[in-house]
Amino acid sequence: MNTDSSAARKKGRLAALTASTAALALFTAACGGTGGGSASAPKNFSYLTVNENSTVKTALGTLSKGRCADEHKALPLKVESVPQSGLDQKLQLLAGQDALPVQFAAGNAPALTEQLYKSGKIADLEKELDKLGVLDRVEPAAISTIKALYGGKMQVLPYEYNIEGIFYNKKIFAENGIEVPGTWSELTAAAARLEAKGTQPFSASGQLGWPLTRLISGYLYRSLGPDALQDVKDGKAKLTDPAYVKAARQVADLGKKGYFGKGVGSIDYDTSFNQFLTGKAAMLYMGSWALTNIADPKQNTVGADNIGFMPFPAVTGGKGSVDQYPSNVGLGITLGKNTDAKTGDWVTCIAENYGSTALKDQGSISGFKTSTDVKDANEVTGQVRKTISDSKQNVLWFEALFSTKATTVSQTNAAGLVSGSMSPKQFMQTVQDALSSK
Amino acid sequence: MHRVLGDRRAVLLLLGPALLVYSLIMLVPTLWSLGYSFTSGNTIDGFTGNGLDNFHRLFTDPDVRHALWFTAKYAVAVTVGQVVAGYLLALLYVFFLKKASALIRTLVFFPVVLPTVAVGLLFKNLFQVGPQTGPVNSLLNAVGIESIDFFGSSGHAFWVLIGMDIWRSMGFYAVLLFAGLVDIPDEVLESARLDGAAGLRLIRHIVLPMSFPVLMSSLIFSINGTLKAFDSIIALTNGGPGNSTSPLTLYMFQTSFTYGDYGYGSTIALLLTIVCLLVTLVVFRVSRRDLTKD
Amino acid sequence: MALDTTRTQATGTSTHPRTPAPRRAPRRRGGTRLWVKIVITLLLIVEIYPLTWMFLTSLKSNSDYLNHSTWSLPSTWEWGNYAEAWTTGNIGLYVQNSLLAVVPALALMLLLGTAAGFALQIMVWKGRNLTLLVFLTGMMVPPQMILLPLFTVYFQTGLSGTLWPLILTYTGTGLPLTVFMMATYYRSVPRELFEAATIDGAGILRAFWTISVPLVRNALLTVGLVQFFFIWNDLLIALTFTNSQDLRTIQVGLLNFTGDFGATQYGPLFAAICLNVFGTLVIYLFLNQKVMKGLTSGAVKG
Repeated sequence: MNTDSSAARKKGRLAALTASTAALALFTAACGGTGGGSASAPKNFSYLTVNENSTVKTALGTLSKGRCADEHKALPLKVESVPQSGLDQKLQLLAGQDALPVQFAAGNAPALTEQLYKSGKIADLEKELDKLGVLDRVEPAAISTIKALYGGKMQVLPYEYNIEGIFYNKKIFAENGIEVPGTWSELTAAAARLEAKGTQPFSASGQLGWPLTRLISGYLYRSLGPDALQDVKDGKAKLTDPAYVKAARQVADLGKKGYFGKGVGSIDYDTSFNQFLTGKAAMLYMGSWALTNIADPKQNTVGADNIGFMPFPAVTGGKGSVDQYPSNVGLGITLGKNTDAKTGDWVTCIAENYGSTALKDQGSISGFKTSTDVKDANEVTGQVRKTISDSKQNVLWFEALFSTKATTVSQTNAAGLVSGSMSPKQFMQTVQDALSSK
Repeated sequence: MHRVLGDRRAVLLLLGPALLVYSLIMLVPTLWSLGYSFTSGNTIDGFTGNGLDNFHRLFTDPDVRHALWFTAKYAVAVTVGQVVAGYLLALLYVFFLKKASALIRTLVFFPVVLPTVAVGLLFKNLFQVGPQTGPVNSLLNAVGIESIDFFGSSGHAFWVLIGMDIWRSMGFYAVLLFAGLVDIPDEVLESARLDGAAGLRLIRHIVLPMSFPVLMSSLIFSINGTLKAFDSIIALTNGGPGNSTSPLTLYMFQTSFTYGDYGYGSTIALLLTIVCLLVTLVVFRVSRRDLTKD
Repeated sequence: MALDTTRTQATGTSTHPRTPAPRRAPRRRGGTRLWVKIVITLLLIVEIYPLTWMFLTSLKSNSDYLNHSTWSLPSTWEWGNYAEAWTTGNIGLYVQNSLLAVVPALALMLLLGTAAGFALQIMVWKGRNLTLLVFLTGMMVPPQMILLPLFTVYFQTGLSGTLWPLILTYTGTGLPLTVFMMATYYRSVPRELFEAATIDGAGILRAFWTISVPLVRNALLTVGLVQFFFIWNDLLIALTFTNSQDLRTIQVGLLNFTGDFGATQYGPLFAAICLNVFGTLVIYLFLNQKVMKGLTSGAVKG
C-alpha cells in the first residue's frame, strides 16, 4: 500500500515535469529568433485584402497580365483575402510576427494603421513615391484626404478615391414633382412628400451602421463647418454639446418618421443597394464606388440614366458649404516597410497604370491620374468624376478620427438611433464615452 | 493489490502523449495569455507591465458588467432550454414513439450539422421585418399583430437568439438523454407500473431520479458551451443592436483584436474562465450531494 | 443484458416494447395519441421547413432572393448555382482541406483520449484525480485565449502555411472532453477484467488495446461523432490559422463567398451550404445506426 502510493506520487511529479518541459520548449520557440526571414527580400508581391472588396484585386490581376507583366515575372503577385471582420485580428497577429505582407488592406479604422506606422511597420508613401519619381501620378486631392485621415502622413495608397453624396432616382423625383433639394429642410420636405405618396425615401444599411452615421457627420459639416470633428478629436468640443446632439436628432427624426423603411437595423449592404437600384427607395447615401453597381444592368433595373448624384444638402445658416464633399480612399492599402528594387518596380508600374485600368475595366475611380483618356460609362459617372476633379476642399466622415472602439460603438448603435431605441443624447453620450476611454 | 494496474511505465505510455499535447496546445498558451493580464498593449506596440491596473479596470468597466450579465442570462436561458427540450424529446422518443423514433430522432438531430453561417442567415430571414416580411411576421400579421422588428430591440433579439440556439442543439441533447432513459431497466419500470405509478408520477418518481446522472452531465456540458458561445451570436446579431447581445467572449475578442488591447482582453478571458470553473463546481457539488442521497 | 435492450430499442425492432398493460383505459390512450401527434407535427414543421427553405434558396437568383418573399418558390430554377458553387466556390478543395484537417485530428484525439481515459480510470495511481481535474479545466478555457500564443508558436516553428496548426489545435482543444467522456465510460468497465487478463507490465498495454478498446467501441464512435461536428463546424480556429486560400476549410470557404462572387451571391452560397450539409448528412445517416447504439449503450452517467 505504502510503496504503491509513493510510486504514484512520482507519477504525478512526472506528469508535472512533462508539462513544464513542454512549456519551456514552447517559450524558447516563441522567444528565440525574431522571425522567419522577414528581414530578407520578399519572394512575392504579396497583397492581403478583404473578401468584400474585389475591385483592387481584379485591377491588380489585370495589370499583372498586361502592363506590369515584367514586374509580375520578377516578383509574382500573390493575393490573399480574409473576411473584413477578421482583418484587424489578422493584421495584429501578423504584425506581432513581423510578417506583414508587402501590401495589405489597412485596418478597419485609421487608428490601427497609424499605430502600425508609428511602430515602423509601414512605409511613408510620400517619401517612397517621391524616391521612385511617381509622386506626381497621384491626384493632389487624394493626397490631402489621406493626410487628413492619417495624422498628416501619407500612409496608404489611393487605390480608390471616393467622394460621397446622395444618389437619387430621377424618375421618382420627376413623378412626384420634386426638385433636387439644396438644403436639409428641402430634403426632409422631399422625403415627407415621397413617404406620403407611399415611396420609401431612403434606403440605408443599418447593419453596417456607417451609412447612417454618415448622415450625422454630413449635417455636422454643413452646420458647424469642416472642422466640426477635428474639434472633437482635439478636445475643443464634445459630441454631447447641443450643436452635435442636434445633428443626431435630425437623423433620428428621419428614422422616427419611417423614412428608412422597416427593419433598418437588419438591412445589409446588398439589400440597401437592391432597394435603391430596383426603384423601391428614392435616395441612397453612398460613395462614388456605387458607380460600379449602377453601371451593372443586372443589379440596376431602373437604368443608369435614371440615377442622379447630389451633394449632401446645406444647412441654413450653417458654416459649411455643399462643395465640401466627404471623401475617402476606400479600403486603404498600405505598403509594408520591407521593400526592395523589385517591389519598387511594381509600385512604379502601378502608379503609372492603375488609374486608367481601374476606370476602364471596372468604372472605379482611383486617386491615381489616368494616363489615357477614358470615356465615361454613363452620365452619372461623368458627373461624379467632374465633381471630384473640381472639388477644392474635402471633409471626412463621422468615425474617421475616432479610436477603433469608438468606431465600433458608433456603427453598432446607429441602428438604435434611427429605430428610436436610443435617444440622440444617449447615442452621442455613448460614443463620447467610448472616445474618452483611452 | 493493484500491481498490474499500478504499473508506472504503462501509465506514462498511456497518459503521456495526451498530457503532452494537451499541455502544449491548451495549458501553456492559456498560462501564457494569462501572463498578459498584467500588461497593457498589443503585438504591434509591444507589451508593458501595468501591475493590477487591468483588474481595477475590470471591476469598474460598465461594458464588462453588461457583457457578464448578458452571458449569464444567455447561458441560463439556453442551458435550461436545451436540456429541458432535450429531456422532453427524449421522453417522447422512449415512451411515446418507440419504434418510429429513429426517423424523428434523425430529423431533430439534423440542425446540429448545419454550419453556423447558414443557421444565422436562416433565422435572419425567418424573423425579418423588411424589405420583405419574413414568415414569423407574416404569421403575426395573420393573427392581427403588427410586425415586430426582432433585431431592432435588445429584448426581441435576445429571444430570437435563445430560440435559435435551442433549436440548433435540442436534438443533440435529446439523443444524449435518450441514452440515459433507455438504460433504465425494464423491470424497474414494470414493477413501478404494477404499483400503480403512471404518467407524470412515473416520470417524477422513477424516471427522473434514475436518469439524474446523465441529466447532470448534460447540464455541465451545456453550460460550459453556452458560457463560451461565440459563433452563433456573431452569425445572428453580431452583438447588436448596440452591444446589447454581446457576451464576454465577443467583448474579449473585440478588446484584444479590434481595439488592440490584448492585455485587458486576457484579463476578461480570465474572468470568463473563473466563471466557468465556479459554475461547473457548483453543478458538480449539487449533483454529488443528490447522488449520495440516493 | 442492458446492451441487448438498447440494441432492440435503437434499431426499432423491439420484441417486448414498453407498452403499458393492455388493461389501460382506451379513452386515455386515444387522448395521448392526439397529443403526441400534434407535438410530432409541430416538430416536423420546425425541422423540415428550414431544410426546404435552404434548398429552395439554393436555387434562386440573387434578385429573386432580394425581391421576393422568403417563402416563395424560385421564379426561375437556377440549377447553375450548384455548378457555380462547386467550381467558383472551390468546394472540392475546401472539403478536401476540411477532411485533411478533421480526420487526422479526430483519430489522434480519440487514440490519445482513450488511452488517457484508461490510464485515469482503470489504472490505479495517486494523483489521477488531480490529473483528471487538470484536463477538466481545459473545458472551461475560452478558445479565443489560446489564439495569439499558438499563432506565435506555429509561425516561429514554420508550421503556418500548412494544415498542421489546425490538426494540432483541434486535437488539443478536443482532448479535455474526450478524456473526460472516455474516463466516464471506463467507469462501467470492471477493473478485475484486466487484473485477471494480465500478469506483467507489458500485458496491460496489450489488454488496453485488445480488451478495453473493443469494450468501449460504441463510446468511441459516439465521442467521435460529437467531436466531428464540433470540429467540422469550427470557424474561429480555422479563420485564425489559415492564411492562404489553398488551406481554407469548408466553413471559412462559406464565409468567403461574399468575396469570391463580388457581392453576396445568395444562390451559390446556399448551394454550397446544401452540398456541405447534405454531405455531412449522408455520413451521419450512414453512421446513424451504429451511433445510436453507441449513444445508448455507453453510460454517459456521471
